[in-house]
Amino acid sequence: MKYEVPRPERQVAMVLDLNKCLGCQTCTIACKKLWNTDTGTDYAYWNNVETLPGKGYPAAVHDPATAGRTTGGEVKRGVLPNLDEGYGRAWTFNHRQSLASAGAEEKIWIKPAGQVKWGPNFDEDQGTGTYPKDNHYFYLPRLCNHCTHPACLDACPRAAIDKRREDGIVLVDQDRCHGYRFCVEACPYKKVYYDHVRQVSAKCIFCLPRIEEGVAPACARQCPGRLRFVGFRDDREGPIWKLVDHWKVAMPLHPEYGLGPNVFYVPPLSPPKLDAAGRPTAEPRIPTAYLESLFGAAVHPALETLRAERAKRRRGEPSELMHLLVAFEWHKNFRLEPRQREVLS
Amino acid sequence: MTAVMKRTVNLMSAPPTMQPGGYVPVAYADRVSPLTGAVEIAVEPMGQGWRVTLSWECPEPVRDIATETDRFVDACAIFAPTDPESPWVTMGAPGQAVRGYLWRADRGEPWQVHAEGLGTMQRAVAVGAQANASWDSGRWRVVFTVPDWPALTSQRRLACAVWRGAAKERAGLKAVSPGWLEFA
Repeated sequence: MKYEVPRPERQVAMVLDLNKCLGCQTCTIACKKLWNTDTGTDYAYWNNVETLPGKGYPAAVHDPATAGRTTGGEVKRGVLPNLDEGYGRAWTFNHRQSLASAGAEEKIWIKPAGQVKWGPNFDEDQGTGTYPKDNHYFYLPRLCNHCTHPACLDACPRAAIDKRREDGIVLVDQDRCHGYRFCVEACPYKKVYYDHVRQVSAKCIFCLPRIEEGVAPACARQCPGRLRFVGFRDDREGPIWKLVDHWKVAMPLHPEYGLGPNVFYVPPLSPPKLDAAGRPTAEPRIPTAYLESLFGAAVHPALETLRAERAKRRRGEPSELMHLLVAFEWHKNFRLEPRQREVLS
Repeated sequence: MTAVMKRTVNLMSAPPTMQPGGYVPVAYADRVSPLTGAVEIAVEPMGQGWRVTLSWECPEPVRDIATETDRFVDACAIFAPTDPESPWVTMGAPGQAVRGYLWRADRGEPWQVHAEGLGTMQRAVAVGAQANASWDSGRWRVVFTVPDWPALTSQRRLACAVWRGAAKERAGLKAVSPGWLEFA
């Protein structure tokens, strides 16, 4: 008894340029402070930034074995992450003892209370490869993809998850939710979280109250790197259509699950690997095969386009794509018309 | 008090293929055998109300899931039809509700529940009702004391469900009585 997923009148979307993410976590904190300060979601980050190659957050999120879909898009049983090895428990610190020791001869340093096993960004900046030959990493900011065919919506036996007609934002009705967590299990991106105090599911709402006012989500608006673009899929004057449909340089994460994510990524270019003599080779440090495992085969022509447009700029020629990605005119990163209120100039 | 029903009921797995949505019927299609094989049930009238006792084998009880994201508690429910035609396997149907009580191991008080089909269960405070639970020697024993239960009084039949938390049973993943259990 599958549900009919309502086809939204419009679909709000986001593009993130991974060439510009510096891993500062400003987006993470902007989101966390705005939406997730309750005890039951202490461990949860609707927006997170993970270092790749790495385990991700929760750990193993990029392992198809944890997904509620096969890589061919068929339903299969997914995995519920736990706190110890999946998300990592929120740490508590010995602030009181440390402060009390301020005047003492022997200071007590601030450190986590109890044994720390795992946590978000536990493998931050580790990456992989051998210095200086081919070591590499990049940052992947993640949020709910507000999918066109949401696995979470499909999984809820109480029909407590809805996709809004007016903008395609996927929401949990916490009055209907009974905390069964099939949504968490099914979502390959693990972007639905369980509030273990209120015993209901919770997820990114794409800063719905801001969107309704024509203001970009906090994660995008606060990004110092200006790497996020927000708008509607069907707006041909907006950055989403230009990057996704016109230039085809932005693609969804793990398209193989067939859910139609509405968050897109411009894949990262990288410096060349070095050969045994320390000379640059023709191969990028971030293996294209690895990027393909994240973004699908469309990553190949996207990287070609990015290289070609970058070369044009180096030759002093104009490039509409590079102009857009550099975000010289930042207010053009966000286009939420007809209720646009971003005035940043 | 004389029990109007006291029997051992062999349970069946609630059919996963009937569950709402596209995920559970496929992802849990293998759950065809009940993880709780049988329940002992006793029904006793108590003035205007009822006392219903359920007892079942549970080798690995889960009483609490606080501060965890991947665990589920043990639970059981009893429900009665409000209409002679109320179907049991779907927990009622629109206009043919079932009403009853839900006990969860992490709560002191039971919920009163109302459903008109799969995925429609509403939980509410069960005014005056109690559920006293104990686990001993590998068995749960839950005694519901209900001051007023018109559906059971008028229809004189009920059904029950048991969820084994350790096996991640919740929602439609449960062992249920194979139909309404009737008494004279």
